[in-house]
Amino acid sequence: MLFSRRLMLGLTMAGTLASALAFPALAGEGPTEIDLFFPVPVDGKLARDMGTLIKEFNDGHPGIKATAVYTGSYDDTLIKTRASIKAGKPPAAVIMSANFLLDMQIENELTNLDSLIAADGSTKEKFLGQFFPALQGNAVIDRSVYGVPFQNSTPLLYINADQAKEAGLDPNKPPQTWAELTDWAKKLTKRDGDKVTRWGIAIPCAYDYCGWMMETLTMSNGGRYYNEEFGGEVYYDTPSMLGALTWWSDLVNKHKVHPPGATPGPAVSTSFISGNAAMMMLSTGSLTYVRENAKFNYKVAFIPRNVRNAVPIGGASLIIPAGVEADKQKAAWTLIKWMTSPEKSAWWSRATGYFAPNMAAYKTSDMVDFLNKNPDAKTAVEQLDVAKPWFATYKTVPVRKTLEDEVMLVLNGKKQPKEALVAAQKAADETLKPYNAETSLKLP
Amino acid sequence: MSLAEPAALPVAAAVPPRLHIVARFSARFKVSLPAYLLLLPSLVFLALFTYGAMGRVLIDALYQRATPKAPLRFVGLDNIAAVLTDPAFTGAVVNNLIYAVGTAIPSIGLALLFALALARTNFVTSALRAALFLPVLIPMVAASALFLFIFLPNVGLLDYYIGRLLPVVPNWLGDPDIALYAIMIITIWKNAGYYMLFFLAGLQSVPEDVMEAAHLDGAGPLMRLRYIILPELKPTFLFVTVIAILNAVTQVDHVFVMTKGGPSNATNLVLFYIYQQAVEHYDIGKASAATLLTLAALMALTALSFRTMANREGGA
Repeated sequence: MLFSRRLMLGLTMAGTLASALAFPALAGEGPTEIDLFFPVPVDGKLARDMGTLIKEFNDGHPGIKATAVYTGSYDDTLIKTRASIKAGKPPAAVIMSANFLLDMQIENELTNLDSLIAADGSTKEKFLGQFFPALQGNAVIDRSVYGVPFQNSTPLLYINADQAKEAGLDPNKPPQTWAELTDWAKKLTKRDGDKVTRWGIAIPCAYDYCGWMMETLTMSNGGRYYNEEFGGEVYYDTPSMLGALTWWSDLVNKHKVHPPGATPGPAVSTSFISGNAAMMMLSTGSLTYVRENAKFNYKVAFIPRNVRNAVPIGGASLIIPAGVEADKQKAAWTLIKWMTSPEKSAWWSRATGYFAPNMAAYKTSDMVDFLNKNPDAKTAVEQLDVAKPWFATYKTVPVRKTLEDEVMLVLNGKKQPKEALVAAQKAADETLKPYNAETSLKLP
Repeated sequence: MSLAEPAALPVAAAVPPRLHIVARFSARFKVSLPAYLLLLPSLVFLALFTYGAMGRVLIDALYQRATPKAPLRFVGLDNIAAVLTDPAFTGAVVNNLIYAVGTAIPSIGLALLFALALARTNFVTSALRAALFLPVLIPMVAASALFLFIFLPNVGLLDYYIGRLLPVVPNWLGDPDIALYAIMIITIWKNAGYYMLFFLAGLQSVPEDVMEAAHLDGAGPLMRLRYIILPELKPTFLFVTVIAILNAVTQVDHVFVMTKGGPSNATNLVLFYIYQQAVEHYDIGKASAATLLTLAALMALTALSFRTMANREGGA
């Protein structure tokens, strides 16, 4: 009896499943159903905030039913998006790491958003004009819009104000140049014989972060890292990057004010929070974490310069993958515009710690109140004036990794900066070769 | 087969075999039908998710694009050649060999030691067995997250205690000379308790009367270990060694979580290399070729060890 009842139950379930799989269209006729893939790159309650946001959207748009699908880290989100494009069922929208867009466009995996903007009676210039100029570089490829900035960051200098005072430094006048920073780091480092008990400064170097910090230092040294107009070139073996890497290496190997070896971001922030590192360079995305966990007074400041003040942006944009049907494209576009509107942009910024890409977000009254209460969040926004796009090339990740592997050797004292950069340039050029063969070196 | 054979034999005996081969086959098939039907669900899923995928990898390994916008074209064994000449792959193979040997030997040694010490069952040994088995219950990803904090430079648990004794505190995961060994420690910590179980089971099969006889003949504990216990445990050793080597190739969760193959490829293992080719380089051809090579090596290893095992059992 029991057996047959179970069998019946099993058969019924299998039947339901089969019919659900076979006739998905019959369930239609209701609202347009779309999926949004979203990553959670930082710790915290981001996934719950996303649920809140999407529920609010669905309540206000009865014709569309959006579902937020959590897809892991930025890298995982790229994998899953590519897998679903290959399977012929791409999600209608994805929050994608801003420097993956170029690579995806080269692989024909993105929907050009120009026609959707034109259908709204708007122009590219007007649409992009809503966002901070620094963010536009990573959203536009070959003069077409492929992404809409959603959550963004820049690197900042964090200072333990209590330790600075104790060392006779004024935290209200943070270091502005590399020379001043080196001086601060020396004064803030505490030694017990040969052993360092407190580091003056820590800069993260793990895959992903390391490349971003190298871009930061290179830009502050007047350099460019990559060709912003063309995905087939990086500038590793250049004086500006040599200066940047040599300075970083000197902090470690010569001045001994920076912990040796490659240290990932979370280890750096833990060091800072525990008072083991007096200063650190880290993303604005960690500001909320520091604010909630530091048991001392801290200060944030611009990344100091050697030649000029300049930093790269980080973060993610909203994209529509290639191969999404027209009605879903339209629904996704509605969702994207809603999510990047001033009010929602401001709300997401306060909930997560990213800054809001939409400039009008900072004119909303809630945001004005928030900034008055948390002036440190203002520094990140002010630094946007000198921010520039995030490096993006053909095969961004492997090209970046060629540099990171060499930088790690330098920070471990196993290679000199010059030979490391020559090796990195050679390896990167090798990776970029097929793209150049098809573009810059394809001659009539 | 064992289900089918007793029923099939009378049929074969009743009919002259060489005249009715077809009939014999169909009769056999009829009799074994229930067995095949029972196997069908697993066969379907194996075909879909294991053999199908393997076939796909085989095909993907033969195709490549010359430039990003060019169409896929058949390149034969070029992908395999490209993988074999890639210094990152050979580096990963070397790392994986160091990793396999450096995790298999210590964890098997520890497992044997634990099993010998805890062979008798009483309250204390049961509690200790449970304690040693605990790391097996923790998922590798969770264990890696724990060890991230233990290895944290300057502020981690390890540096907090050991750092006081050392003149310079090492950056456990950030130094290319140390990182692979740090990763290996986790594997040993996690697997020793698991292998202990096999040795405990193996020890049960050591004949009690032989042990007793040896005892009466005046063989000391070391003699008994050398001449009775270890020879009896040979099949267990063989089995555990195969498992340990398979683990060394297939369990790389901690590499994903802790180092991503870094710093400077120092902890890059073969499976992680495949992941990098497929995901970071977006080079499915090369990733498939590397998968095929790994699969071939693993299958050869497994076949070899099972043959040795079968030979041993056949000879005994």
